[in-house]
Amino acid sequence: MKWNKKHYRAAGAVALLVFLWLTFFAVRETEFVLITQFGKPVRTVTEAGLHVKWFFQTANYFDRRLRIYNPRPSEFLSRDKKNLVIESYVAWKIQDPKRFVETVGDPVAAEMRLHDIVWSGLSAALGTHDLDSIISTSPDKIQAQEVLDNLTASTDRAALAQYGLQVIDVRIKRLNLPEQNKQSVYARMRAERERIARQYRAEGEEQALRIRADADRQKEETLSAAYKEAEKTKGEGDAESTRIYSQAYSRNPKFYKLLRTLESYKKIFDDKTTAILSSDSELLKIMMRGESGVQ
Amino acid sequence: MSLLDVAAKPVELAAPVARKPARRWTLRRILPGVLVLWLVTSVYIVPADQQAVETRFGKVISGRVMPGIHFSLPWPIDRVTRLKVRQLQRLVVGGDISDGVLGRTQPLASQFLTGDQNIINMRVVVQYSVGVPVDYLYQTQEVAKAVGAAVEAELARRISRRNVDAILTTEKAAIQEETRAAAQKRINEYRTGVLISTINIEIVTPPPEAADAFRDVASARADSARIVNESQGYANDVIPKARGEAQQTLEAAAAYKQRKTNEALGDAARFTQVAAEYERASAVNGRRLYLETMEQILPRMKKLIVDKSGNLDLTIIRKGAEPRNPQ
Repeated sequence: MKWNKKHYRAAGAVALLVFLWLTFFAVRETEFVLITQFGKPVRTVTEAGLHVKWFFQTANYFDRRLRIYNPRPSEFLSRDKKNLVIESYVAWKIQDPKRFVETVGDPVAAEMRLHDIVWSGLSAALGTHDLDSIISTSPDKIQAQEVLDNLTASTDRAALAQYGLQVIDVRIKRLNLPEQNKQSVYARMRAERERIARQYRAEGEEQALRIRADADRQKEETLSAAYKEAEKTKGEGDAESTRIYSQAYSRNPKFYKLLRTLESYKKIFDDKTTAILSSDSELLKIMMRGESGVQ
Repeated sequence: MSLLDVAAKPVELAAPVARKPARRWTLRRILPGVLVLWLVTSVYIVPADQQAVETRFGKVISGRVMPGIHFSLPWPIDRVTRLKVRQLQRLVVGGDISDGVLGRTQPLASQFLTGDQNIINMRVVVQYSVGVPVDYLYQTQEVAKAVGAAVEAELARRISRRNVDAILTTEKAAIQEETRAAAQKRINEYRTGVLISTINIEIVTPPPEAADAFRDVASARADSARIVNESQGYANDVIPKARGEAQQTLEAAAAYKQRKTNEALGDAARFTQVAAEYERASAVNGRRLYLETMEQILPRMKKLIVDKSGNLDLTIIRKGAEPRNPQ
């Protein structure tokens, strides 16, 4: 086949397209691009958008987004020799693609390295802290945040220097006890609950008794106060009546004596009384002697 | 190819096409049609419940395109990613959401360690939506995983400083709110572009190995409340009754006083009146009063009349009511 002008033009267009394809490359927001020249890293493109390179250079794309890595739950020993199962996570991303590709190459390998750093960091941190600085009900003892902040900072330093990774956060997701310790914890929890239940019941009893006793006391107080007041009132009444009587009677004591004595006769003598009357008595004198009885 | 052609230029589609040599004509017709279609890709619509992000060669040029019709440069220069920003997404921390649906008696929940070293099971449901579309799309590889991790870490931290009673009873709402705020802060640092709307502690239970002991505490609390209530009932019964009784005593005393005083006044008035009359003729009146009294009392009594000189044989008294032989 003989090449004519048209064929050359077409070939030229294709060559131009290939050249443009090799020269221009788009970088997305999620990526870093490492430009290598015959395998040797030349420069890093971190800015998204359209970029230019030499056609003989290669663009290597790296995911720059944040990733979450969950290391296996591991058992750690605190300074006071207590076992603790810690499940942590690491938030990390590729910071320096050049170093990354030189040292680890792919994310799975990077996570293995992170695992080692975090594991040794956690185990060192726990080894210098008591259990109650990680879990405790008194807030001033807890130092978990400081420990993790320091761990994050040290992991970040190490990972960046060695593998070109940025570690944004290392946190503890889950704290638990080793399986072999759990049974004794359950037993302790049960004992604790039983104690609390007993305490609740006893406290209820105590309060109930207190309320009852208080009610009884109030009752007695109220009644006795009323009694006191009532007796006072009655006394006043008695005193008043006595005063009235004495005032009235003292004006005519002789008549009072007569009247009162006669009055009491009415009460003293009833049908069971036998009166032995002298025929000489005032009452019967007239009956016995007739008119001469009247003096 | 011809189908595209038809779609682009329906009017010019005519019968003669088939008759003529096809290749030249179709090429000429395809090119403008494809061009028009290509330009059409530069128009896009964002539905009302969505927002969009526009990128040019991968670089974000518009981070938040609101609903409506918009223009961009055609594919593949500009690209548009739409996001349902308001749609709530659900995430379960500790256990699987399907467990409840499957009706397991002991739904899967994760164990957490409390500040007083108790183990409790928890399951938390997180609901979140997209807050910053650009960050949501481009900053995190697995957004749900990052959100879940942050929530779980903040939750564990809060659980590890409270005692089990507080977690099971009073502090639940506080834990939810604190965890939400702290986890939000943390994922903002990660730039996930997520807005946590709620964190809901769905399940918080003691482990089954100790559950009955926990239930007994609850019933002990109820028992305690019951006996306290009963004693309060007793107090509520006794105290008002005592008050009433006291009032009754006081009223009775007041009545007594009044009665005594009035009686005295009455008696005194009567005495004064009678005494005044008596004084006017004391001998006669004295005798009259004496006799009147005798008249009243003597009829009731047994009477023995003895002569003043005679000796009295006292046995007659013993002989009873009707002495047959008085001397």
